[in-house]
Amino acid sequence: MRLKRFLFIFSLMIPTLGLVGILSFYPTLKGIILSFQNYTVFTFNRIEFIGFDNYIEVFEDPVFPEIVKNTIFWILFSVLFQFLLGFSLALLMWKPFRGRGIYSGLVFYPWALSGFAIGLVWSWLLNGQFGVVNDLLMKLHIIRNNINFLSDPKKALFSVILVNVWYGIPFFAIMILAALQSIPRSLLESADIDGANSIAKLFKIVIPYIKPTIVNTILLRIIWVMNFPDIIYGMTRGGPADSTNILSVYMINIAYYESNFSKSSAVGVIILSILFIYTTFYLKITSKGEFEI
Amino acid sequence: MKLRFLVLSLLIFLFSFLIAEEITLNMIQVFTSPLRTKVLEKIISDFEKMHPGVKINLISPPYETAYQKIYLMVSTNQPLDIVEVGDWSLSSLASMGKLENLEPYIAKWEDKKYLLPGVLDSARIYKGTAYLIPNAVYVKALFYRKDILEKYGYKEPPKTVEEMYEMAKNITDPSKNQYGFDFRGKGFPTAFIDLIMTSYFDDIDPSNMYLTKDGKLIFEDPRAKKGLEMYVKLYRDTAPRDSINWGFDEQVNAFASGITPLLYQDPDTLGLLKDTLPKEKFGIAPLPVGPSGKAYPTFGFAGWGITSYSKHKDLAWEFIKYFNSPEVNAYWCKEYGALPVDKRVYDMDPYFNSEFFYGWKYMFNHPEIYQFTAYPLANEKWGEWNNLHEKTMQKVLLGKMSIDEVLKKWADFWKKAGLK
Amino acid sequence: MREKFYIKIIRLILLSIFLIFSVFPLVWIFLTSIKPADEVYTFPVRYFPREPTLEAYRYLFSFANFGVYFKNSVMVSMTASIVSTYFALLSGYVLARKKFKFKKLLILALFFAQMIPSYLIMIPQYSMFSKLGLIDKLTGITIVYMGIGASFSTIMARGFFLRIPRSLEEAAMIDGCSEVSALFRITVPLMLPGISAVFSFSFVNTWNELFTAVLFLNSDRKMTVPVALYSFISKAGIKWNVLSAGLVVALLPTMLVFAFAQRFIIQGLTQGSVKEV
Repeated sequence: MRLKRFLFIFSLMIPTLGLVGILSFYPTLKGIILSFQNYTVFTFNRIEFIGFDNYIEVFEDPVFPEIVKNTIFWILFSVLFQFLLGFSLALLMWKPFRGRGIYSGLVFYPWALSGFAIGLVWSWLLNGQFGVVNDLLMKLHIIRNNINFLSDPKKALFSVILVNVWYGIPFFAIMILAALQSIPRSLLESADIDGANSIAKLFKIVIPYIKPTIVNTILLRIIWVMNFPDIIYGMTRGGPADSTNILSVYMINIAYYESNFSKSSAVGVIILSILFIYTTFYLKITSKGEFEI
Repeated sequence: MKLRFLVLSLLIFLFSFLIAEEITLNMIQVFTSPLRTKVLEKIISDFEKMHPGVKINLISPPYETAYQKIYLMVSTNQPLDIVEVGDWSLSSLASMGKLENLEPYIAKWEDKKYLLPGVLDSARIYKGTAYLIPNAVYVKALFYRKDILEKYGYKEPPKTVEEMYEMAKNITDPSKNQYGFDFRGKGFPTAFIDLIMTSYFDDIDPSNMYLTKDGKLIFEDPRAKKGLEMYVKLYRDTAPRDSINWGFDEQVNAFASGITPLLYQDPDTLGLLKDTLPKEKFGIAPLPVGPSGKAYPTFGFAGWGITSYSKHKDLAWEFIKYFNSPEVNAYWCKEYGALPVDKRVYDMDPYFNSEFFYGWKYMFNHPEIYQFTAYPLANEKWGEWNNLHEKTMQKVLLGKMSIDEVLKKWADFWKKAGLK
Repeated sequence: MREKFYIKIIRLILLSIFLIFSVFPLVWIFLTSIKPADEVYTFPVRYFPREPTLEAYRYLFSFANFGVYFKNSVMVSMTASIVSTYFALLSGYVLARKKFKFKKLLILALFFAQMIPSYLIMIPQYSMFSKLGLIDKLTGITIVYMGIGASFSTIMARGFFLRIPRSLEEAAMIDGCSEVSALFRITVPLMLPGISAVFSFSFVNTWNELFTAVLFLNSDRKMTVPVALYSFISKAGIKWNVLSAGLVVALLPTMLVFAFAQRFIIQGLTQGSVKEV
């Protein structure tokens, strides 16, 4: 009987575990090994272990502190505004209105675009010279001089975050809207009878009810945003002068420009470690290790 | 009964395989664009017609990831016979040991005497051995907007860097969204920086852009500072602020829309301008020279190599030879926008004598002014240099680093990389 | 009553701001896609084409084999999403319903899989697939895509199972159903919204996946849509009207999947109310 139970669990779990194990964990192990070697195109025929040299090189890079700072800004502000605006949008769309189906299609579509396409299109839109955004703002008399969204190092990070927020709102809105729909009507009605106003209802009933969704969506989102170089790569490649360089872009640049696959793997392992530590803490603080989506 | 049927069908299967023995060559290009792919396909199908039983399978990866793909393919011995190699990646691919030494083939090749002078030498940057045959060369020239320069009273394109600076500065009027120099701040700006900077020299080593003839690093020379100051001035006084984040696409975009009428570019830009800008609105002139009266352009090139593990090397060589035959080479360069490597093509085809090619022809015919040199491409640090060069130059343009500091940094980099 | 009207207006204004903000790039992409090549780079910016044309779309389907890429993408994404959704259903069920050793560890492992930077595993994956002879095969890329979504889909599916009361399955099992048939007859139909959510997330991700496809696929006739779009960006610049047309076409299937799924997704977790019944 126990064997049968084990076989049942095993046979239902094995397809997923097999896929994740073979396609994610095994290559990760290989990647970690690679990060301790000296694999570049020039050393292809004499690959050997070089200990922590790649890591030391990364930590000693004079721009590394700035990259870490940018990464923190990138994650913090992207996710914060994605969440706040996504939440607001979900609240606005909660009560049915005519044309909500079409509306949601038009407002959620950025989610269905690829990061690379978004980066490309937005760098065109935000061009400081012939970009459409500047042109529109001029015509509406909101600005008098062109804004150098991507070439002014003080604004570049803000601009790429803006685009990432644009891209991330729908995901939050969809998840939160779905959770809102699941709030039992009886709960809200009883609050109405008690005479609670909207704000009280929001904080006393709505937010506590959908808290698991918020907690988990933010957790996953932070992980994804950390590992999401596509938009920045398409817009600035980390420039000008490293003002938008974040860890994942730094990693790609090392692989592309220097063809140093070991050093870029080392950056990958650093990213992975940071995320691992972060997740452990996050879960400790927010829940008792029980997750759901 | 069943068994006999099985054996029979197996035999038929094997037999049909023997009769229709088809050889497939796998070939990969690097500088992919839809137009280029079409041109290549045409050449391939002509070659296939001449060689029945041969099929060439063309692989066209997106340009930005092409090298990484090639590295991975050859490192795992994926089926690949003919590889396109650009000058900047030649040494890394050759050092992997995955490219065939082509010298024995070249020794027997009759057409080699028609190659432009210097082409074979530039292919031999890795240990003096040719691992590829260039199929076209790229040299930067000055693209200028005739209509816009005329509007401001300039009939002729600038001849010197200083003239260009004055002209660009006079034209520039941010309130009208008119600027002068089409600046490049992102995505491999190395050649743009160096062309301006070295025009202040008159003794650059003909085999190394970063050394003077007496073997000193140019970055430690006071003339480098003068040149770099000019480059920064071109950005500050005549280019849009935004251009620090411009790559190729934005450059061409700004040129086509007339915002910046002076552009340094390669001949393949012609291919893109063909659809976007009427012919009479722009011209192409020789590169402006510096105070030394000289300029130091380089030959950029791409060509075909053969993988060391290919099973059909001779056939692959046949294709390379065919590709470089004058008719095919002319067709290739004309459609795609490049300079032919075969001298005969320039006389054979009137297209290459048209006014568009005047700038390049002038440069080729005046070696006392345009002294072609080469980049230290065989140095293992070359890739890293491009990243550093771009990022530190941006810092200088933004005023976050001084010219003296950056020159010192560059000199240190190359000393450490063993250039001197 | 007045206050309600007032709120209504504010709501309308805010909804419109969101709409304009999100839809404006799409409008611009669409307008560019119907411009002839020489109107793309005009300055000052021209918003509406003087002579609208379908040139770019024609180019897409005749000059570039966009039809083939489209078919490949549909096949790869569909297969991968269906299979990984099915797998996620099985494992999500076990992780929601069963109690066993290492369960917590398994769930943690699935979260951990989310953290792996794709660039870290790309080279090892490539050498693994090349040993198996799966480079330049649509099968190969389909397998990779099944793996991309597997962990997140399972996490999601488990969440949906947790919201459906176990009592329904138990009742069916008392009536003589086996566990598996109870799962598929009773629970799965109730979970349709959840399933369509899992499926559409997985579809969108695989439909847009670029960097693995770029490395793993070689031949022209095997290319997927994102790879084809990416190759419109060449060393010699971008044909913006063609690229825009490609983006419009590439957006259609995801929009379609979303249109079907959105009704379910939005009422997706309404099963919470089932819990109350």
